[in-house]
Amino acid sequence: MDRIPARLDQALLERFRQAVGCGWVLTDPDQLRTYECDGLTGWRAVPLAVVLPSRTEEVVQVVRICHENGIPFVARGSGTGLSGGALPVEDGIVIGLSRMREVLRLDPDNERVVVQPGVPNLEVSRVVAPFGYLYAPDPSSQRVCSIGGNVAENSGGAHCLKYGFTTNHVVAVTLVTPEGEVAHLGSAVPDSPGYDLLGVVVGSEGTLGIVTEVTLRVVPIPPRVQTLLAAFPSTDAAGEAVAQIIAAGVLPAAIEMMDRATIEAVEFAMHAGYPDCGAALLVELDGPASECQALFGQVVEICRSCGSSEVRVAEDEAQRALLWKGRRGAFSAMGRVSPDYYVQDGVVPRSQLARVLSGIRELEVRHGLKVANVFHAGDGNLHPLILYDRRSPEGPERAKRLAEDILSLCLEAGGSLTGEHGVGRDKVCQMPKLFSPRDQMVMHLVRRAFDPAGTANPGKVLPTPRLCGEHPGIYRPHPLERSGALQRL
Amino acid sequence: MTGLEADLEALVGADSILPAADGAEGATPPYTVRPKSAEALAEVLALADSRRLAVLVRGGGSKSGWGRAPSRCDLVIETTALNRLLEHEPGDLTCVAEAGLTLGGLQRLVGSAPGHHQQLMLDPPQGGGATLGGLVATAASGPLRARYGTPRDLLLGARFALADGTLARTGGKVVKNVAGYDLDKLLTGSQGTLAVIVEVALRLHPVAPATRWVVAEGLDPRTAQAALVALRRAPVVLSMAELLWPEGKMLVRLDGAVSACGEQAEIVRALLPGSRVAGESEAEELARMIEMRPWDGEGPVLGVSVPLTRIGELVTVAEAGGPVAQLSLRGTVGAGEVRLREGADLAQLTARVTALGGFLAWHRSPGRDAPPLRPEDPVAARLALAVKRALDPHLTLAPGRGPE
Repeated sequence: MDRIPARLDQALLERFRQAVGCGWVLTDPDQLRTYECDGLTGWRAVPLAVVLPSRTEEVVQVVRICHENGIPFVARGSGTGLSGGALPVEDGIVIGLSRMREVLRLDPDNERVVVQPGVPNLEVSRVVAPFGYLYAPDPSSQRVCSIGGNVAENSGGAHCLKYGFTTNHVVAVTLVTPEGEVAHLGSAVPDSPGYDLLGVVVGSEGTLGIVTEVTLRVVPIPPRVQTLLAAFPSTDAAGEAVAQIIAAGVLPAAIEMMDRATIEAVEFAMHAGYPDCGAALLVELDGPASECQALFGQVVEICRSCGSSEVRVAEDEAQRALLWKGRRGAFSAMGRVSPDYYVQDGVVPRSQLARVLSGIRELEVRHGLKVANVFHAGDGNLHPLILYDRRSPEGPERAKRLAEDILSLCLEAGGSLTGEHGVGRDKVCQMPKLFSPRDQMVMHLVRRAFDPAGTANPGKVLPTPRLCGEHPGIYRPHPLERSGALQRL
Repeated sequence: MTGLEADLEALVGADSILPAADGAEGATPPYTVRPKSAEALAEVLALADSRRLAVLVRGGGSKSGWGRAPSRCDLVIETTALNRLLEHEPGDLTCVAEAGLTLGGLQRLVGSAPGHHQQLMLDPPQGGGATLGGLVATAASGPLRARYGTPRDLLLGARFALADGTLARTGGKVVKNVAGYDLDKLLTGSQGTLAVIVEVALRLHPVAPATRWVVAEGLDPRTAQAALVALRRAPVVLSMAELLWPEGKMLVRLDGAVSACGEQAEIVRALLPGSRVAGESEAEELARMIEMRPWDGEGPVLGVSVPLTRIGELVTVAEAGGPVAQLSLRGTVGAGEVRLREGADLAQLTARVTALGGFLAWHRSPGRDAPPLRPEDPVAARLALAVKRALDPHLTLAPGRGPE
């Protein structure tokens, strides 16, 4: 996108301060550096300023100032994104929404909750739990990540296999357009008239405006949850079990797979008591007790027939938590066994899981690096962790090539570039692998309809010739991640 | 033969040009073209666009009344010759089909895979002959929406032609995908005003081994509302919960494992006053009743939606003697259809539904034209118009129906 290069002079900073209050415009270089990257730490850029509004009206004023002066802006929630969607632009500002964390309206009788964008994902479930409801999308960073960020990325999570993604649970938003107008898209009631602009805004990664109020659909807490861990001799056998479970018409709440490398790391780091095996499946069923029970028997039978040597069933909530602990902690555990790793996020058709996993093994050998697999198997969403050492001369470069080859493998199998992390800055130059120039042109047309001046999160999602010559730095763990407070994926 | 006819013939062949009478909707168009490939369809569109002709796209014609009649129509493009199932991988529970394939045709093809019993879980009104593209374009759904959602939730990807003939894709064919803008959503419900859908990738679901129906009769608005609250919180998975008024009936369908279905039906029965579990011999009749209502009868039919907590009040509006002849409502969603009595005051109904915080949508409105596709919010309306002008700058596709 071509923009008028902008600089921030004192007069403009003063206008931002008038809009949001003196203390909420950050310009100190040390403070700005806190915002230089999101969860994808390989890409960094220091913004000219960070502006922290507290209400829709303040966001409107800030965006208007940007619009009038051609200043690009990047909206940011909690900064846990893994594709560089909240990566600042050096000649622009970051609009941080972390002060907007109020739950505005609770309406459990209509199965709706209205929140500000800075509200953490898990907080929504917490506030509706007393009424018997939960908010279904559950990205692994759900304790920290914000609803606004979830809307931008159309976030998934382990349980979206059954419940759908963020886009299936957002029914209305207040959008501040890149020109600083306020649009109300969608409705708490179904079937509002007009084009489904809300559906386009969800997952648009902050390029079509800033969402300042979100109406969410919540679902009843399932009456019964059953969880099992099945041990398999190989990922092929586990992959076959996944394919058979899906094909049999069983729709679990979650099916997660871990390979030997992951299980070993998890055991080494947190002693979750996982069996010693080539691959493990964590399967969770929820719903009415009778339905759960019937399907549970079917799942166990399929696992056994696919060569599972051991099936462990969680007998109570404590055992269930223990089974999930290993899965949720898999990424931080990996830090104990490898100095560095890169997370890939690709999707394959579920019937292709076993084939793609064996393809990844061939790539491991060819590139001479280890790959640990821990992922949402039920919907074919792979998260290969490429283990490398940045101090070795070719380590980072080889990891990058291996990650790209894995993605190509996913696309050859009929899959997608990203299942839940988004395109952001990370994959913007890989978009042509999936979308033709014409496909991208149509997306550009839609982007321009929302943002004629191109100031909203430029350089993300859609490639431009200027963008795709640069290379990212190497992965560095986020401080929150190093402490174990945050898991990626 | 006119110049246009000759040019169309050169593009698609004489056998793809139909007599004018086939395309009678609103204004009578001079030509109806039925291209045999997406590429030919795109070329016809490009030709029309370059000559500033107005084009109406048509599938099976079952939802012709759902959108506002275009202000001009020079050419109808029918998609029904694009009717192949392109991919169906039963293990993935997904399929890819051309947009002119009918829903009935798709169900037969995907339902016949050996060892798998799968369907597209969509049961729109007059659905069998409706095309997949038409269903997406009208966002049409039926009672199964209670469990499986609407085309918005089932569409994974699409290929479409813009008015200038550009063929492009959005989404993919996998169930999880966040690459690029979700233009699937934009096409869904756009009523042929943004692009012509030529191919769709859809999510399928397995057909459960067992089905049970629970029938409640003699409900009044208050008990109906209370019963729905209880149902939503009950430990059951409902495939349908149809409220039928003014009869005061609720029909609930449960699908699941053989061992579980009966138990769940008992839970529902215990929650619904005056209800019973229907015998298997009744199932077909109940399904047909749901399918026909409220369409089999004279009078305008409108889509209606209200907040869950206002369903009791909507039902009161549909009591006997009022403006509504029949109401069929998805009780756990708050959306459905009403058929009005002949001569009923539409403005009055609109006022009452609006007061409940709900919406009406025109589906069959003899002698009355539907409003254009325009959101109420002025800024949203401006964005919608900007999108329309970006994708269809000459207003070639169904002019007057969209936000312009």
